[in-house]
Amino acid sequence: MDRFRDVLARLPLALAVGFGVLCVVLPLGAMLSETVYGPDGFTLEPWATILATDVDRQQILASVGLGVVAVAVAIVFGFGHAWLTTATDLPGARVLGPLGIAPLVIPPILVAMGFADFAPASGFWFCALLLGTSYAPFVAVMTARGLRAVDGRGYEAAMLSRGRGPAERLLLRSILPEIVAGCLFAFLFVISEHGVPEFLTVKGKAWHTYAEGVFGRWTRRATGVAHEDIVSPIVAAVPLIVITALALFVALRFRAHSALRSDFRPLPVRALGVWRFPALVLPATYLTCGVGVPIFVMLRWAMGSTQTREPMSVDILRRSFRGAIEQSGDDLSYTLLLALLTTAILLAVSIPAARVAARRFPAIDHLAVLPVAVPAVLLAIGFVKVFNSPAAGAVYDAVGYDLYDSMGVVGCAYAARFLPFGVLTLSQAVRRLPRSAEDAALLSGRSSLACGLRIHLPALAPAIWSVACLAFVLAARELDVAVVLPAGNDTVVRRLSNIVHFGGEDAGGALALILLVAVTSLPILTVLLTGRKLRPLS
Amino acid sequence: MKKLLLLALTSLLAACGQSTDVTLYVALDQEHSEALVRRFEDESVLRVNVRFDTEASKTVGLVSAIVSEKDRPRCDVFWNNELAHTVSLGQKGLLEPYASPAAAAIPSAFKAEDGMWTGFAARARILIVNTDKLGADRSAWPTSIEDFADPKWKGRCAIARPLTGTTLTHFAALRFALGEERFGAWLDAIQDNVVWLQSNGATMRQTADPDSEIAFALTDTDDFHVALLKGHAVGAVFPDQAEGGLGTMLIPNSVAVVRGGPHPEAARKLVDFIASEQVEGLLAASKSAQIPVRSSVKGPESAWILGIDEFRPMVWDAGEVASNLAELSAQFGQRYGGSR
Repeated sequence: MDRFRDVLARLPLALAVGFGVLCVVLPLGAMLSETVYGPDGFTLEPWATILATDVDRQQILASVGLGVVAVAVAIVFGFGHAWLTTATDLPGARVLGPLGIAPLVIPPILVAMGFADFAPASGFWFCALLLGTSYAPFVAVMTARGLRAVDGRGYEAAMLSRGRGPAERLLLRSILPEIVAGCLFAFLFVISEHGVPEFLTVKGKAWHTYAEGVFGRWTRRATGVAHEDIVSPIVAAVPLIVITALALFVALRFRAHSALRSDFRPLPVRALGVWRFPALVLPATYLTCGVGVPIFVMLRWAMGSTQTREPMSVDILRRSFRGAIEQSGDDLSYTLLLALLTTAILLAVSIPAARVAARRFPAIDHLAVLPVAVPAVLLAIGFVKVFNSPAAGAVYDAVGYDLYDSMGVVGCAYAARFLPFGVLTLSQAVRRLPRSAEDAALLSGRSSLACGLRIHLPALAPAIWSVACLAFVLAARELDVAVVLPAGNDTVVRRLSNIVHFGGEDAGGALALILLVAVTSLPILTVLLTGRKLRPLS
Repeated sequence: MKKLLLLALTSLLAACGQSTDVTLYVALDQEHSEALVRRFEDESVLRVNVRFDTEASKTVGLVSAIVSEKDRPRCDVFWNNELAHTVSLGQKGLLEPYASPAAAAIPSAFKAEDGMWTGFAARARILIVNTDKLGADRSAWPTSIEDFADPKWKGRCAIARPLTGTTLTHFAALRFALGEERFGAWLDAIQDNVVWLQSNGATMRQTADPDSEIAFALTDTDDFHVALLKGHAVGAVFPDQAEGGLGTMLIPNSVAVVRGGPHPEAARKLVDFIASEQVEGLLAASKSAQIPVRSSVKGPESAWILGIDEFRPMVWDAGEVASNLAELSAQFGQRYGGSR
């Protein structure tokens, strides 16, 4: 019985480790091995091509520059939004707060295309503004998470003894791990974005990002037969991994410390006084740029802005929505189901991994970032190699179930891709929990599983919900993995991409709006149903 | 709540495992190909597991999937909206020869000698012209790809960067049609004259946009036709039709049987359907206005889009282009800021 209990206690971690091996180590390892085993055996020749030309070096600098500026934008919008809606008496904060995640829903390429329809939109600065706004939700979610986890008594004591300035600095230092993690996520997504910088080539763009360069190399792989051609996009991803490692090194210098105690008190809600209404300008600007503009451009599309046969009208809008639902109703339900599955897998893997990362092996934080450091396409092709290998085929034949051709493999690939959001967020949250309760539980003979279920899970509920919302939104809009894995074929974003490409902006705009409503309804419903207990931005 | 969970579980299981009779990977836009696939299902009573590509993924999607799945092929039939990548798959040994009887009337120029692929329903690489900006007098319109080098059009003409898609294939074919030296000189001459854009769709949009300075651009007939359907003031020029000229590049759809695919018999039936006159006719009548390669099949309605016998196509060797596509892609990448 004790043995069974031991096994049961270790099961979540064993499953997480198994997932890590199957869905991260093996796919990326398979791709890596391609680069070092050529037709003539072991070789490191392709690695000599990394950043070998001036073009590559210019592109990597452009990527880093774009990432830094976009993160600055994300801090202004994301941090400002979270601060005002979480820690102050801003009017309408309860509604505005969860909306902070909405800019993440619409793929930025669609926003760029729509914006370009009615205003000149090009160049580095516009690209940085657009991407910074699109990825500001990472900073918003993480900042709000930090603000809710900080013990308000420390802040109040600092305020009484040393005044407002030092108290605010103390608070900022306390939530720095979360802010930095949010910035890291935003930075990683910006530097791996190839579609938006490429689209903004319009008229004389003189800069190109490294991600554009890596993406272009896939043509070489698809058409080439030489080993150098085939591994070209894989070795080209190495600088992105190095940049990620450096960013991560900086981010993990700021680790959260234990703050929650039994007599924990949340931060006091500070009164904005005469600034209460003027302060609305920041969330309003953020939501206008991140949600209002996309909704506006999608509405224009849906009303027929891209054609000149008839004037834009509500009638066209109605037709567009009808067309979108007829074409994509099944895809929408498939996408939402896939997003739920991804969220479930991610949480099942992240919770045990984060507990171990926080308490025993901090290196897990570093390893978890690997899947998001490499281009999504690379991870997806690694998945094809592992889950469609002859060995995997033999397993499918034996069990009578073909995982590769199912939604399951896409859910696993998405969960692997979004692993850092789960592990980093939750490991920071676990670090904020005092060890005393766990120690007491373990000393009294409780298993690690019981400790996790009784102590960690309830305390982590808000952080888990933050991760769930992020994973759900990200899974609903993921494209690069979906285009490689066959079962990712039925997602809304893939269809949206097709519709818009071939002049179907009217139905595309309607579909993007439907997706926005469907996906943001989860965090908004949470607030309505649970009140203050679970907040998507906490 | 329990009912909801049960429903979700049922849907999940249903989505997880469905038996299929043949698997098709389609690079042609879903909007045009999906209805045809459903028609095949109705006529043949075979269930098709169909995977569509996205324009955004360019060649990364289906071609990469077929290459990556080579140890355990999942795809039976590959329907590509262009030719070079299909030929490339054949050169990698990933295709199975099949001479479809349905393609007997297709001219031999559009079929592989070894039966690896069959070409049909083509797009032409044309000049899309804004008729408001250039006026109704067609003699003032550009007529050749050489016009992209003419200083009088500086900043007023656009081409998609030749890093992927049909523009890459076109530039690669021009490299062999013009010869290395002449092609290099042409590239140098157009370098600063042309506005380089992201895609053929973008060149079409910029040309159609009355507020843009772009007066004409190189694009595909299907993109041109979309602009026309949307009511934009555009016209089409089939370039290089003068005596001794290069001719207009024509890029057909291609269909091929994947080597080792799980359903070879059904695959052949599906290829017979896709390469049929019926499908060519439907594609010509669709929004993409594909040009039938059989002169017996009725072409697109629009008078701007010429029939196969009404213009001189450029002669190009798909095998030569496919063999050199990786190297040329790397060269173009260096020049136009993309791949290497």
